[in-house]
Amino acid sequence: MNEIAWERRCVLGALLALAALPGAQAQSTDLVAVVAANSKAPPKLSAEELSAIFMGTAKSFPNGERAVPIDQKAGTPPYAGFYQKVGGKTEAQMKAYWSRIMFTGKGQPPQEGGDGAAVKKLVAANPNMVGYIEASLVDASVRVIADIK
Amino acid sequence: MRVLATLTAALLGAAAPAQAEGMRFNFSGFGQYTVGKVLSGDKKPFSLTGNWNCPCAITNWEYVGVYEKDKGWQADQESLIGLQGTLHFSDNVSATAQVLARPGNFNFRPTLDWAYGSWAVNDHWTVQAGRKRIPLYYYSDFLYIGTAYPWVRPPQDVYGWPIYAYDGVNAAYTGQWGGVTVDANVWAGGFTHNNAPYNTKIYYGAKTNERWKGIHGAYITLTKDEWNGRVMVMRHKANTWSPAYDDQPETVWVPNLQTTIIALSLNYDGANWLLRSELNRLQQDESKAQYDYYLLGVGYRVGDWTAMLTQSNYKTKDLGTAFGNPPQGIEARRSRSLALRYDLNKNWALKGQYDVSKDRTTWYDFFGDHKMLSFSAQTTF
Repeated sequence: MNEIAWERRCVLGALLALAALPGAQAQSTDLVAVVAANSKAPPKLSAEELSAIFMGTAKSFPNGERAVPIDQKAGTPPYAGFYQKVGGKTEAQMKAYWSRIMFTGKGQPPQEGGDGAAVKKLVAANPNMVGYIEASLVDASVRVIADIK
Repeated sequence: MRVLATLTAALLGAAAPAQAEGMRFNFSGFGQYTVGKVLSGDKKPFSLTGNWNCPCAITNWEYVGVYEKDKGWQADQESLIGLQGTLHFSDNVSATAQVLARPGNFNFRPTLDWAYGSWAVNDHWTVQAGRKRIPLYYYSDFLYIGTAYPWVRPPQDVYGWPIYAYDGVNAAYTGQWGGVTVDANVWAGGFTHNNAPYNTKIYYGAKTNERWKGIHGAYITLTKDEWNGRVMVMRHKANTWSPAYDDQPETVWVPNLQTTIIALSLNYDGANWLLRSELNRLQQDESKAQYDYYLLGVGYRVGDWTAMLTQSNYKTKDLGTAFGNPPQGIEARRSRSLALRYDLNKNWALKGQYDVSKDRTTWYDFFGDHKMLSFSAQTTF
């Protein structure tokens, strides 16, 4: 009995430790989709429009301007949070999706831009790019075109 | 073939100078290390060609991967490595080659499954020319990209013909119709596979060739939220023959028969639940030969774990001259599997699968029933 109780305490302890990890907290950080301040992209994008651009099925913004999506690094909380909220896809589903697309000649996943700060810098310098960053990173160099909820 | 080999060498060798000239080179790959063991089954020699001792399991029909109970755990039947290089000459024009090597295919002899040039005409249309895998069924053109599906291998009652690529042209369409994502392709070409392992090793024993002439087909896939449906129709003229050797004359097994393949698929990919289904038919005009085959799988995903329960089935029709006159029986099989996938990280998936397969062939003595266990580490990079 004592052993079982001890094991239970260990499992509970492990779960609490997991919940307290910085990664687990970062997942709840608000994300926004951004374009350069001088971008010709439309004022706002819907979740579907954003999803189509990042899944490679739309190559342009709805107004016809070319759209180049920039990912944060795969495996990070912003990456997981973005695809979960915009497309309802887990990282494993995204991996399966791009594996299929890449090796059947149908396209390439978005370019990886690094973390939020690096993506912001990249997007700010290119009017065709669109990325997603932590809301707290937004400044005058970029324009928010969607809240990721 | 020499042209394709040269193209591959050029592609792989062009990486460094390409960057210098402003062109872009992408290099990626995939692989799997798969071990399998037949646990039990019908004990008998494989009488059609005498190549194996059963209990045995054919787990790959294209290259012919066969596990035999007598051999215990085997790692050389399905393991493989594939490398893909794409040279982007501009935003719209690129060339891609994909080379595969597997221990079970003439001891890692590389095969060129893909080699094509690609031109993105506009945001929706892409035209490609060269060699590609035939996008016949849902998993056909990514049959060896393990990270893209839940099983160790897609159900082999559905996947397996001697021809799986074509040399030709295709036009691909991608777009959004309202809230529906559309992926469509039309293709035309042909392919000859000399000494096709499917024919030679499984059915005929002697070196046997296969040629599909006048291939033309089309598919459309519609995706809406979690649902995905696909329809494919393809026609070609099928030829199977064993060339003359020693004092044996040439034998023609399938004499240029017009063949139609129709494939339907419906899938659901929810946060937790998965559904995978396919319903396919092959028909030949004069012989009236017909094959019907399906798969139906239900899965459940929690975090990085996915469990999948699947049934698959194939059956030829007993239609007179196609299978002997008077009719002599059918070839048929039904398999059930339980597969478990664990996503280790963004590049690796670890899988285990238990298969129970029942031979329902009445026409000849085929490879019998089997139960088998497989484990696989699958990656894309």
